[in-house]
Amino acid sequence: MERIVIGVGNRDRGDDAAGIAVAERVTGTISHVVPTGAMDLYELWTAHDSVVIIDAMRSDAAVGTVRRFDVSATPPPAETFASTHACGPAAGIEIARALGRLPTSIEVIGIEVGDLAVGSAMSEPVEAAVDDLAAELSDA
Amino acid sequence: MTDDNGLREINVDYLARVEGEGAMYLKLDGDEIIDLEFSIFEPPRFYEAFLRGRRHAEAPDITSRICGICPIAYQMSSINAMEFAAGAKVHPQIRALRRMLYCGEWVESHALHVYMLHAPDFLGYESAIELAEDLPEVVTNALRLKKLGNTVMTLLGGREIHPINMRVGGFYRTPTRKELDSLVEELEWALATSEATVRLVSGFDFPDFEMPYEFVALRHPDEYAITDGRIVSSEGLDIDVSEWPEHFEETHVERSNALHATLRERGTYHVGPMARFTLNHDNLTPRAEAVADEVGLECGERNPFKSIIVRSVELVLACEEILGLISSYERPPAPWIPVEPRSAVGHGASEAPRGILYHRYEIDDEGFIADARIVPPTSQNQRSIEEDLRQFVAPRTHIADDELKWQLEQAIRNYDPCISCATHFLDLTIDRVT
Repeated sequence: MERIVIGVGNRDRGDDAAGIAVAERVTGTISHVVPTGAMDLYELWTAHDSVVIIDAMRSDAAVGTVRRFDVSATPPPAETFASTHACGPAAGIEIARALGRLPTSIEVIGIEVGDLAVGSAMSEPVEAAVDDLAAELSDA
Repeated sequence: MTDDNGLREINVDYLARVEGEGAMYLKLDGDEIIDLEFSIFEPPRFYEAFLRGRRHAEAPDITSRICGICPIAYQMSSINAMEFAAGAKVHPQIRALRRMLYCGEWVESHALHVYMLHAPDFLGYESAIELAEDLPEVVTNALRLKKLGNTVMTLLGGREIHPINMRVGGFYRTPTRKELDSLVEELEWALATSEATVRLVSGFDFPDFEMPYEFVALRHPDEYAITDGRIVSSEGLDIDVSEWPEHFEETHVERSNALHATLRERGTYHVGPMARFTLNHDNLTPRAEAVADEVGLECGERNPFKSIIVRSVELVLACEEILGLISSYERPPAPWIPVEPRSAVGHGASEAPRGILYHRYEIDDEGFIADARIVPPTSQNQRSIEEDLRQFVAPRTHIADDELKWQLEQAIRNYDPCISCATHFLDLTIDRVT
């Protein structure tokens, strides 16, 4: 079964658009954007056994840093992937795990973000990271 | 936390299992409440400001962006206002389709809240994840119900989040009978599952707590009001939606980015499922009424913790309504009627999952929006939430901080607050003197 690339975020809040931008820029692969709550995330991958989720990340890294988390066996660090919605993607993944609905392979790719102001554009380092990731995932 | 002066502070910096960014702060001196605030710090979004200068027909698509959970409510209230302003009346089957779509939103929203956000409070789980680990069949049912709501939204609304098919005057496209019939089997499952949900949640332990709310809801003579109706209250208010500004007012309080709404004559009021249930009890659908009676849910219930039962009864009602509307559906002669704007003030209201959503627009003679006002349910319930917290905590100050914090968060979640929706801001004026 084909891989699916899922981008999570808010396109109107600066760097928070990173995940959505990657999903929109990949070519030659199935992609989907998740702009709001992610409780039933697993519905997106029922026909896929390989899943890549791209989301904005807050850790202590430099803005634009990309980190990868294989979440097939262990949860993503929830505090790194916060959500203002009642349920973010980290919780969505864990609900899927509890229900036995995880795909064979699932990876979360975080892009370290800076400015999340409403109405602002993505910063240069995040734009660059988005382009690199989109190219990489398109070629895979 | 208790400080050197014996003052005790309980702070919830970031409320969990609610939509958006809100907080609660409580300060106690012994048993005395020094300060108690429910605050909304979600950034202001200025929707009312940027609606000005847009065409009247754009309001449904712009305002639906306010909320990812109740976009249909925003579309419906704005459409009601625009059709009111233009004096337009749509075909009965268009109205039926709107009710069907709106019920889909109720199913999606209520299933999410009842099972995933509120039930964990009563079952002692921190989150829906633990609930899923221990009771996977319950969570699977919840997500299947939510998915059905999304399917209805997609079929009638064009897509599940921020739908685009509803418009001033009707729909861009109306469904075929065959398309609607494809929903029936899943709806029958959902109806039975919702009845089981009512039985499940009515067995939860509820704190002994009641509030003397003035309930405010829409009311329609022939049906459980959802898409439109008059505004009525448990204290005898009975007005046309256009009279809203004369009876209600909004004020800004410093701690919150959402305006506080009050009844001019009597102050705090309460909107949402409990208000609807009380004020529309005689219009419940048969199976919703039967299961409410079976579990002993009484008209006039005023324990906010029991709102989870009422929401579940409304799940039953929404499924029953969609099934009934499908069975009597005849594709309308045209998907929409032309609605010519005219210089007028339009008022519209509908029952969002969390309560009345009121819109008011001033339309100029060229059909542009000159002024807009949007009053979402969470904004209207803010004072009611704070009063609940104040009354709830008073006899419970002896409870340890962590447990008290848990109970107070639960008291807020009784309202299923949608903080993102509630956030707007006073007009911002920049005066430059040089």
